[in-house]
Amino acid sequence: MPSLPLKAIQGLFAIMFVAHAIAQVSPPTLSIPSTTLAINSSSPMSQRVVHYEIDAKYDPRSHTLDAAEVLTYHNLTGQALDTFPFHLYLNGFQPNATWIKETKRDSIRDELPEEWDSKYYGSDEIKRFEVDGQGDLTSQLQFIQPDDHNKDDKTVAQVRLPHPIPPDGYVQFKIAFHDQFPETLARTGWNRDFLLAGQWFPKAGVWWHGAWNCHQFHGATEFFSDFGVYDVKITVPQNEVVGASGIQVSNVSNPDGTKTVTYHADDIHDFAWTASPRYKVYEDSFQSSMGPVKLILMMQPAHVNQEERHARILEQTMDRFESWYGPYPYKTITLVDPEHDSAAGGMEYPTFITGETAWWMPKRVYLPEVAVEHEFGHQYWYGMVATNEFEDAWMDEGINSYSEVKVMDSILGPRTSFANLWGVTGGDGEARRDGYISVADLDPIARNGWEYVDYNSYGGITYGKTASVLLTLEGIIGEDTLRQAMRTYFMRYRFTHPTKEDFLKTIEEVSGKNLRWYFDQAFYGSEVLDYEVLRAKSTLVEWYKENLKEKKGETEYNSEVVIHRKGDFVMPVEIAVIFDNGDKVREQWDGKDRWIRFAYTKKAKLVSVEIDPDHKILIDRNNFNNSNLVEGDGKAARKLANYWNFVTQLMAQLLAWWLV
Amino acid sequence: MAEKQNILSAGAAIASRNKRYVVWFWLLNLVLAAIGGTAFSLRAHALLDHSLYASGLVHGFDVGVFLEMLGRPEFGPLRASTAPAMTVAVLFFLLTMIFLPGILQGYASDHHISRAEFFRICGVNLLRFVRLTILFAVIGGIVAGILFGIQSGLIKAADTTSYELLPFNVQLASWIVIILIMTAIRIWFDLAEISVVLTDQPAVRKSLSSAFRQTRKSLARLLSSYVLIAVVGLLVFAVGIWLWHAIVPPASVLGAFLISQAILFSLLAVRFWQRATAVAFYARSAIEQPVEAPSLMAPLPPAPVPSESAQV
Repeated sequence: MPSLPLKAIQGLFAIMFVAHAIAQVSPPTLSIPSTTLAINSSSPMSQRVVHYEIDAKYDPRSHTLDAAEVLTYHNLTGQALDTFPFHLYLNGFQPNATWIKETKRDSIRDELPEEWDSKYYGSDEIKRFEVDGQGDLTSQLQFIQPDDHNKDDKTVAQVRLPHPIPPDGYVQFKIAFHDQFPETLARTGWNRDFLLAGQWFPKAGVWWHGAWNCHQFHGATEFFSDFGVYDVKITVPQNEVVGASGIQVSNVSNPDGTKTVTYHADDIHDFAWTASPRYKVYEDSFQSSMGPVKLILMMQPAHVNQEERHARILEQTMDRFESWYGPYPYKTITLVDPEHDSAAGGMEYPTFITGETAWWMPKRVYLPEVAVEHEFGHQYWYGMVATNEFEDAWMDEGINSYSEVKVMDSILGPRTSFANLWGVTGGDGEARRDGYISVADLDPIARNGWEYVDYNSYGGITYGKTASVLLTLEGIIGEDTLRQAMRTYFMRYRFTHPTKEDFLKTIEEVSGKNLRWYFDQAFYGSEVLDYEVLRAKSTLVEWYKENLKEKKGETEYNSEVVIHRKGDFVMPVEIAVIFDNGDKVREQWDGKDRWIRFAYTKKAKLVSVEIDPDHKILIDRNNFNNSNLVEGDGKAARKLANYWNFVTQLMAQLLAWWLV
Repeated sequence: MAEKQNILSAGAAIASRNKRYVVWFWLLNLVLAAIGGTAFSLRAHALLDHSLYASGLVHGFDVGVFLEMLGRPEFGPLRASTAPAMTVAVLFFLLTMIFLPGILQGYASDHHISRAEFFRICGVNLLRFVRLTILFAVIGGIVAGILFGIQSGLIKAADTTSYELLPFNVQLASWIVIILIMTAIRIWFDLAEISVVLTDQPAVRKSLSSAFRQTRKSLARLLSSYVLIAVVGLLVFAVGIWLWHAIVPPASVLGAFLISQAILFSLLAVRFWQRATAVAFYARSAIEQPVEAPSLMAPLPPAPVPSESAQV
């Protein structure tokens, strides 16, 4: 018979076993912090799923980084999870990776040089992958390629846990990783002595609609992550000036000539940082309805004279977003002016954006303003309304491009919001539309970002078409109604991951209209809208009379106007008809048939016919055929021909000047 | 300085006395461009004349409208417009090469040469100028190739530094150096052309070698004269463009035409001034070194049918 001590020992073992098992499944001490240090709110604003604690050391000579990452994940999926996918974006910068292949295929942004160079190589190598309570699982990591089955793509790694994480449980991953930053091809990497660290750490995928959503890194697409808290320590040489997402909580010099800068951020879903010895840092402030926001501008030395224009457009943009859509809750926004020619400009990360300018930029060419406005806009459409950038790129880029046009137009005027220099003008809305019209029939808006025919189509549709479709929607439901719908959408879906239908249904709800006829064509279809004035002419009523002399105001004419719907996109349109006695007629057409004829008998001849005279439709592919000036006016063509001749003559003179 | 002013003012006087050449060449330049621009003009008229959307180009210059016009299939590919323009540019260069001997002869003469004489000189020197042009293309091409190669290397090196303006400054400085060197070569060949015409020299290599010696000997004087005239040309161009913007209403096609042609006429005159200055210099050299340029101011052979009305 077993003695009492033996039973006690057996019981003790049993208790230890159970305790161990519980500890393995869900360590009771784990949690996601409820901090609010970096936001102007007394309570968390998002449902926090992740807490990243990263201690990183960067070596600017080799452009490498070694880091220890502790990721605490809160399982809010409602079911036990035994697999976890992780993004390893930097592995996209490898010759056979999907990002490089697609970039080369589509000549994206001219980013990839003809010849591969080792300096473009990037990697995110996991040295050790441990799961708290479940041991070292480094060997269990497997690269997966859910989108294109490219076995050489290592941008997503997945691990299967020996013990599932129960619903509402926590799991902690302890990851040691080594980054090799590429020379910047796009968004992230080094250039000369500058670094922009984006997509630089192993990041968990998103459990969305009952499955993991963790796409490979594609040439055109961007990112998708869960909200949470970030505590990041960055160690760099002491001469480096560092900026990052969130707020800086400490800056400590180390005895080895380095310094460690610590950042904290709440309710964000990504973390980026930058370092360069040459930044000139300026600070400003903005008063949000939720509290003060510190604006941190990190300018290149050659651009310090542009600090004021950057700060001004940032404040003006924040002001309009605040009043139109809702408050900006974070305590900081960092605007980085990246190294020139670094391909790191015009990018958004939570509370951290990059602008785009050059030392020679004329004051009245508003490229820097558009870049700052656009990237700040992403704080709303991506940063807070965190849509899936892989699958619904239009929901961040397109909605943001629409906001961009509205903000830029309100600040600089509708026809001059892109450029207004020496009589040459351009509007931001036109620029967006121009991007769309050349690719109008290639892809629908609602398409996975990596499935567009090419990068031109991706850009033209997601940015240009979406902006034009929403600007056109203003003509259907009214500008104020759409703004109210956007505000409702923002306030309702901030700090969540809404779908396309969430957006579209919000517009229908706020406008009180069934807009499916429009949404189905504009968002889900690739129908092209193109109306034309097919015919506009006046003929004498008494044409058969001999020696009839025409007298203005006395002679009667039959006038005929034919409007033709050339494209498949059906939309009601208005038509303005003007006669030479000053009569103006407005006609309505539902556009359902292929054409419509309007006939008039008047003692006046047709002067002009114009479809959409109030210019509410921005998705018409061809604006030239929307009107017909019956008598014609060659002034524009003569003016252009004169310019053309001037350039031709100048070229001829220069050729003769030098060669003979 | 006085000498430089002398050849500059002498050149200006020669060019002014023979301004009909500038007028003829300006007309040639204009007519050729009009022919070369026909394709562009027709396409623009077809697309714009009956569209109210074109008004964005009349009362200003709306880039969006312009870009949409270029993108329309019915406007056609841009190369359909650029190819004729390039062709007429080459044609203008060829006609300049053909008629230049007559102009140089006219510049060197103290009276108006007859049309027949003008064309006779052009005919006699045609192949010589073709050879000179080929030689210039070869020598100038090699030198320019080397210079641009060096420039590219310097800019690349400057681009590795963190000073954003350095590549631009290097580019600017190297452009100035390249233009100065190429101008020196142009001066050499301008003098050779004058020598070929005025000495009736069939062997262009002899004219080239004597012109080379003259250029080397008086490089600073000639180069500074050429540069000064070119700076005048640049100023004229800059002021002209500014006036175009400042005083011509956007909708005034006639105003734009007049100011643009005034600019082009002035630029052409500037180049003719350079050539006249070279002729003035050559004349001075001929007086100083009669052996090298014996027949410069000698009486011209009688023209077959000289008449007042046949002057060119």
